[in-house]
Amino acid sequence: MRFVTLTPVIAMLLQAAYDPIREEIGRLQRNFQGLIWGFVAAWVILLLYTLMLTVRERKLRREMERLKSMVEETEKK
Amino acid sequence: MRQKVMIVMLALAAVLLVRNLYTISLLPDEVNQGQIFRIIFFHLPAAIAAMLGSAVALLASVMFLWKKNFQYDALAVAVTEVGLAFLAVNLVTGSIWARVIWGVWWAWDPRLTSALICWILYAGYLILRQALEEPTQRATFAAVYSIFAFTDVPIVYFSIRWWRTIHPQPVFFSKGGSFPPDWSRALLVNMVAIFLLYAVLTMIRLRQEQTQREIDYLRRTVHAI
Repeated sequence: MRFVTLTPVIAMLLQAAYDPIREEIGRLQRNFQGLIWGFVAAWVILLLYTLMLTVRERKLRREMERLKSMVEETEKK
Repeated sequence: MRQKVMIVMLALAAVLLVRNLYTISLLPDEVNQGQIFRIIFFHLPAAIAAMLGSAVALLASVMFLWKKNFQYDALAVAVTEVGLAFLAVNLVTGSIWARVIWGVWWAWDPRLTSALICWILYAGYLILRQALEEPTQRATFAAVYSIFAFTDVPIVYFSIRWWRTIHPQPVFFSKGGSFPPDWSRALLVNMVAIFLLYAVLTMIRLRQEQTQREIDYLRRTVHAI
């Protein structure tokens, strides 16, 4: 008997706990965050690769100059 | 001259990408996916650029084995390395999309798995090059390996038709495609920009490969003296 009187109260509480608007806002927020992370990840990968190329370029130039000066010095001797 | 061409291409790519980012932000949300669908504007061009790169690497490798010209070997390594970066972009953006839509970061789906195998194969190509010292042997082995690695590319492309897969079917430029023409236009612009970026990075990498050969020549000269 007591259970029967409590049923509408439980139903109301369950309904209040499930808020479709809040759930939709949460879904959209996760969706937007995913998009931003995707764009950031894409650019970070390309940026890191470009950085790698720049470091290698500098290294190659330094090595080239070192070898050229070595050849010049050896030829002078 | 080459430097100027590269700067112009890079500037053009930057302008197109920034302008298109604005255009993409104005597009309405996709009905089922919401905002996250916009990731396709980077995910797809990166994949196509990487696939075209692997096709160029295949041609360059075949040409090297035929002509024994080291310029082809340099081209093969340049496009492969840049392609690997773009394929990484494709895999990572796809994984982020999957987390939002499928609820998981990764699924052992035929398309995803074959794309990952493709990345590992081309990474293996670069590792193989590092392992071999003698230039002719390195270029020959690498060319043969590149031809072998390319066999995975058609599998990646056709995997969504050959096997049952959870990866979405083509939505652009196909009969069953559901994307409107202005969305396809935005994708095309992004594709052009990403191809330009790919070309610039390849040109830089190619120049480095040529410098490396000059360095090798100078080293031999120093040792000979």
